[in-house]
Amino acid sequence: MLTQAHAAHFFDGRTSARHPVTVRLSEDRIALVIEGKSLTAPLTWLLSDLRALTDTADDQRLTVTRHAQSDDESPHDVARLVILDPELIAWMHRTRPNLFRAETHPGAIRRLLIYAGGAAAACLLLLFVILPALANSLARLIPIEREIAFGKTVVRQMERQLNWLDAREGFHCTDPAGLTALDTLLQRLTGGRDMQYDISLQVFDSGMVNAFAAPGGQVVILRGLLDQAETPEEVAGVLAHELGHVESRDATRLTLRAAGSAGLLTMLIGDVTGGTAVAVLGERLLSASYTREAETAADNFALEMLANARVDVAGFGDFFDALAELEPFSLPEYLATHPATEGRAAGAHAFAAAQDETAPILTKTAWQALKAICD
Amino acid sequence: MSLADPSSAGAIASDEGGHRVWATRFAGRRWPLFKLVLGTGALTVLTLGIYRFWQKTRVRRWLWSAIRPGGYPLEYAGDPLEKLLGFLIAVVILAFYIGIVNLLLMFASFALFQGNYAAYALSLVGVFPIWFYARYRARRYILARTRWLGLRFGLEPGAWGFAIRALWHGFLALITAGLLWPRMTFKLEQYRTNRTFFGETRMHQDGRWTMLYGAMKWHFINLPIAFGGLICIGANEALALPILTLGAVLWLYAAVYYRVETRIRLTNHKRAGALRLRLTASPLRIFWILASGHTLALLVSALPTLILLGLFLELQSLETLVEMGLENTPPIFAGLNRTALIALSVMAYFSIFLVWTACTQAWVTLPLIRHYAQGLEVIGTEAMATFGQRPRDDHPEAEGFAEALDVGASL
Repeated sequence: MLTQAHAAHFFDGRTSARHPVTVRLSEDRIALVIEGKSLTAPLTWLLSDLRALTDTADDQRLTVTRHAQSDDESPHDVARLVILDPELIAWMHRTRPNLFRAETHPGAIRRLLIYAGGAAAACLLLLFVILPALANSLARLIPIEREIAFGKTVVRQMERQLNWLDAREGFHCTDPAGLTALDTLLQRLTGGRDMQYDISLQVFDSGMVNAFAAPGGQVVILRGLLDQAETPEEVAGVLAHELGHVESRDATRLTLRAAGSAGLLTMLIGDVTGGTAVAVLGERLLSASYTREAETAADNFALEMLANARVDVAGFGDFFDALAELEPFSLPEYLATHPATEGRAAGAHAFAAAQDETAPILTKTAWQALKAICD
Repeated sequence: MSLADPSSAGAIASDEGGHRVWATRFAGRRWPLFKLVLGTGALTVLTLGIYRFWQKTRVRRWLWSAIRPGGYPLEYAGDPLEKLLGFLIAVVILAFYIGIVNLLLMFASFALFQGNYAAYALSLVGVFPIWFYARYRARRYILARTRWLGLRFGLEPGAWGFAIRALWHGFLALITAGLLWPRMTFKLEQYRTNRTFFGETRMHQDGRWTMLYGAMKWHFINLPIAFGGLICIGANEALALPILTLGAVLWLYAAVYYRVETRIRLTNHKRAGALRLRLTASPLRIFWILASGHTLALLVSALPTLILLGLFLELQSLETLVEMGLENTPPIFAGLNRTALIALSVMAYFSIFLVWTACTQAWVTLPLIRHYAQGLEVIGTEAMATFGQRPRDDHPEAEGFAEALDVGASL
């Protein structure tokens, strides 16, 4: 119970003068009366309006203000009542549950939501419309020889990363018979077609079940994929798919778009407390949604290419069946950016059922040689 | 109207040449700050970074309230919501700039340099002017939300002027091999100080840029050592390493010495109305705080790092296991285990940053602020009661640009 007057000091927020004051409860017990010789008139602050500064460095001092409509940052009076009297501080804590309540101006949340919506719309527009469109048109302007040079850099970077994971020498697979088989595969698929790029096809000795197309016609198959494949038609299917990416310049378009969106995402999430990892993850997700379209297009290209070369498309489907079984374990990179595997398999099988006469793509010996290309 | 009576507020006052002098007290301790930063940091991670505006506000409120010139704490009146709003505004503007500029640079680097490194370098250069712009804007926001004795501080608009001057003086310092660096330091500080207000009273930066030359002392002392070390690389390699190490440590000290010494000299030439400032600080002490604080933070955050490394190895071997012999591993168990391992790794990853931030705030930031605060005196406080309030600087974009660009507006 606040019975007598307590000493405090007061800043009115108009000048820097410090006013020594006394504080007591009003007669009707609903307000605090602040009196001081240097104040022009005593102040009456309603108890229910009292607020105090939070997160202060010590609890020996309580700086009190009051709830009021103002143009200040918070809906508080600019005046400050500073209390050092422990008894009065304890009384405040005990009797004023709203003392440390966080308050905002009316309409602040609504304003925030409107801005948030606007910012989100602008970012989405940029990420999904403007950047992809810009990337698509600029990709066509890059001279092919520059693109090839860049693609080679990308493949070297990729090689270094894989090499670091596997920590092994002799990374390029160069068995001559295997290379011949690989070339046969490629010729069969591209023979009689007008390709925009000269394809440079390599196999890397890595256990990952994957293949990728870098800018400028650079296609790399990883040994793990050859191990996993049961027939040469399966490998041909994956190769045709990668050639689809090459023809539509997907890698180049993706790199350009990613350069824009990665910077944007880093900015959004911020670098503090490990935000970079989140930004990278976000970029991954974004790529996935964007590339799914490109992947479907590459699948269609592959089916058409296989059909033209009279290669059994069922192999393509079989491979996806095998992948679907593997899915929960070891293939996050490959699958994250691709359409649902089972759906693709079904599509390929349906296509195969309607296919005309086909011819095997490799002889048994050539297939054995291809599988042993890294030995 | 009564003048402040510092003795009752627990302040230390003395007289000097007829002027009253207020010393500054610092009232914060490490442990509460550590807990505050760690707790709000955890919330920041859990809210995917959104809580960081609250974190910043709360940590500043705490630090500001610990700094007490004349026994009267500063007040940080900033609001988290306005920071978030400012960030959103900055995001919209910067999104287009960063997104499109980065893409164009990547294209240029594709077409001209056959690689992507040139693009990264160029995109850094493109950000420079905005970087200075953002720093000025952030300072303006922070000053506008800082109060003392109930009065607001303030900084006049002028961010582009600052950015242009920063680039120009930086260019001059660069082409003179650093000889005009003190000039840059002085001119930029003068630009900012002369636009700074306490209440309605404008501050002034007196003095000349040449007075900062003494702060370069250790750089000049270090010069022959660095040269000697470089010459030794050719002549005597065994000798080169210790000399170069000494040179590197000295260079770090020289950088700290420059920063502290220029701050002292600049502060001692600042005034606001009848008030003057005086700062005493020890470069050696600051160097020690930086070195020991960061070492401690490094040691403490090594713990979650080691845990993460262990988990990472565990994950790797599991993957190899799956690759080698699927049929031996019960798939559901392997899947669950992997998920748990990944969850633990993510936690360990974030706790590295959380622990690091909390440690550096408690063992670097706090001791630094304390050292500077305790060495700060306000001279002429007999005129203290005569300052008047300034109107509020709305500054709706707050420190959004600095936040989006991460330009160290942390304080």
